[in-house]
Parts: sequence; C-alpha cells; structure tokens
Amino acid sequence: MNAAVRPAFERGVRLRTEADGSAMLLVPEGAIKLNTSAAAALALVDGERTLDEIVAQICARFEVADGRAREDVTTLFERLRMRRMLIIA
Amino acid sequence: MTTEVRPLSLLCELTYRCNLQCPYCYNPLDLDGYRDEIDTAAWQRVIGEAADLGIVQLGFSGGEPTLRRDLAALIRTASGRGLYTNLITQGTFLSDARIVELADAGLDHIQISLQAPERELADQIAGTVVHERKLEAIARVQQSGMALTLNCVLHRNNHDSIADVIALAASFGVRKLELANVQFYGWAYRNRGGLMPTREQVERGLQIATDAKRRLAGQMEIVYVLPDYFEDRPKACMHGWGRAFMTVTPNGRALPCPGAAAITSLDFVNVRNAGLAEIWNESAAFTTYRGTSWMPDPCRSCDRREIDWGGCRCQAFALTGDAGSVDPACSLSPNHDVIVALRETGARHPTMVPRRMREPVAVPAL
Repeated sequence: MNAAVRPAFERGVRLRTEADGSAMLLVPEGAIKLNTSAAAALALVDGERTLDEIVAQICARFEVADGRAREDVTTLFERLRMRRMLIIA
Repeated sequence: MTTEVRPLSLLCELTYRCNLQCPYCYNPLDLDGYRDEIDTAAWQRVIGEAADLGIVQLGFSGGEPTLRRDLAALIRTASGRGLYTNLITQGTFLSDARIVELADAGLDHIQISLQAPERELADQIAGTVVHERKLEAIARVQQSGMALTLNCVLHRNNHDSIADVIALAASFGVRKLELANVQFYGWAYRNRGGLMPTREQVERGLQIATDAKRRLAGQMEIVYVLPDYFEDRPKACMHGWGRAFMTVTPNGRALPCPGAAAITSLDFVNVRNAGLAEIWNESAAFTTYRGTSWMPDPCRSCDRREIDWGGCRCQAFALTGDAGSVDPACSLSPNHDVIVALRETGARHPTMVPRRMREPVAVPAL
C-alpha cells in the first residue's frame, strides 16, 4: 500500500466509540468489534491524512516500531478495503 | 435474572402490508392479525429506549416498510440518537424523491431484495409485476451513492440462476450481495415442500458463490448463507436467544427473533405495555432460552454450546412441538430424522400458496 494514499470510509461505514472507550465499526447490518490499536488507527481515517501520517501517529501513541505499526495498519486497511468498507486512493 | 448481555440490534417491523406475494416470506401466516400497527410516537419511544439500552443497529423491515409514511421521521429519530439505520425493502417504491428524503433523514444503508435475475421468473416468484421497477430502483440507489446490498433468497425455483444473480449484482457495481438459502419460518415453512432445494443445488450454489467471491474480491462482497437443513450442526440463530437481537412486530410485540411469534408456548410482551429494557432483562420470552442453563442433553455438555447456543428455538418448536428441545438440524438431536425426512419429502410436494394478508385455504399437509 502506497504511503501517500489517503484512506477514507465508504459511505455507510462509521466508527462508534462508547463511553468506556471501546469502539466498533458500524457497517451495513453489522458491527465489528475493534481492539484498541485498530480503533486508534481507524479514528485517524478521514480522507485527509495519508497512510504515512496515520502510521506515524500510531507509532508515537503506542511506542511501537514503524515497521510493525505499518504492517498492522496496512493489514487492517487492506482487509477492510477487500470488504468494500474503506476506500484506498 | 440479571444479565450482562446487551442487545446490539433491533429490527423494527413497521408493517406486514406488502404488494408482493413471495412464497418464501418468513412473516407469520396470520398477517391480518397485525393490522393494528403502533403509531409514530410509539415507534419513536421504542427507538429512544433502544438507544438507551445500548443498541447500535436498527433495521426497518416488514412487510414493506416504505408503505409507512412516517419512515423518514423514524429514521430521523434513530440517526439523531446515533443509531445506524438499515432499510430492508423490496424496492418498488423507491423513487428519486423518496431516496433523497430517506438519505436526508440520515439513512445509512439500503438492502433490496431480488427474486431472480430475469423478469419472467422474478415476477412469477413475486406473484406480481415488479422486476423492472426493482432494477430501476437499484440503479437509482447506486446513483445516489447510498450503501446498497442486494439480497436474493435461494430456493428450488431460482437456485439454478445463481451465477446470473451474481453477474447482475456485479453489473450494478453494488458492494455486497447476500445469497441466502431459504430458512423455513412463517410462509416459507408452510411452503417448504415447493421451496426445498436439492442437495445438488445447494452444493453447486456454494461452489459458484465461492468461485465468484474469489474472482470479485475487493469489488463486491458475497455472502452465501448455508441452509441448516443440509448441515450437521445448527446455526447460531440470532447469535443466541436473547443475546444480541430484538424484533418488534407491527402491532408492538417484542420478540427475540423475527420467527418467534410462532412459538405459542411463550408470552411475548407488547411495547405498548412495557419498556424495552424491562422486556429484555426480565420478560420470560427473552430469558427462558438465554445462555446455556436451559439446555437439554446433549447440548448442555456439548463443547459447541457457546458457539451455536443450542441452534434455533423456533425450528425446535415447529418440528418437535417443544421450543426447549434440541434443534433437529443437529445430527445429535433425537429428532434429526425429521429434518432428514423433510429434505426428501420436499421434492414430492411442490404446491405453494402465495403470501396474502388473509389466511389462504389449506394446502395439502406434507
């Protein structure tokens, strides 16, 4: 996945954060539970930030190496793209 | 009984009125008994209670929900409370103006049903002329940019068209296609003799869907719902009884699943008489089969008891007369032979009655 892409949610897909901090992705007729790091990455998806910027913020927040964060974020985004939930362009 | 489980999804069945007569409909047979529909204010109260209870997904269904003139008002109430809204429709009333009205109200997603990929068969299954209007509606929704899913219920008369259904859905560029083998509730249960697919159809369908899934990955998501009459283990119906899901019928009865009204051994509380939280937490209808403590053997000692949650109570009731018995879809059920027999008898009893608001004349028993 190109570092300069600006991921955006498809219409009909949105992130919901609960009062206790847990989060889920609301999709057509479903809800996908998210772990903390997936929720943090998706909270940065706005069609403006690039993949690079999202990875950098995840690295800073979770104190993980860039390579590891990039792999996790890319895997997550790619999985959602394959299900037509995320636009990668 | 106190509980930590909370519902995630509420299906609002706004009306059972519908201009189509699909014989596979899962609505109850006594449709005429549901004409006393709860009004706009009552639905808005229910939707507010759903949000308070932690529900995140709302489905507007029926019958045909677009026949309710207050649909947009109800969507507006729901989206105002942060709920995700789905409209499950046959699509024939979706004009451009209606789509704009629903989108403006905050609707997140539309699911449109397809009876078959071509006009003659589709209209025959629907019992009326609808196919062309559906295709126009699909194009209009796609044009509007709204998230759209197509759903085709598979049964003996359209199963062999599955490749064409996939091609049609892909040609519209929709994001998701559900190919759902018919489940035998309500009208579908009555018409099971004519609807039951053959094992060859089910297996060929799975192969075609699996191939298409791979071929269209990233372009269109395809979900193929297996028929549990042809499986060895039951489905995790509703993710477990009273664990995630609520339905409210047009006249206000709160059910743990859309088929549950057929279970005459349970009393279902009406939302006119109680709040949603009280119904969820305390009513016998929701607590009787929640969790695992109600389970008979072999379910109670089965290592899948928290995977399938004992399967489907409605199916157990329909086929054994006891909603607390083992789902006959499971090969470990003492009544599994009933399912095996139904798979076979289906092919010899093709007579079907179209869905109608008034009780039709009797059809020959299977």
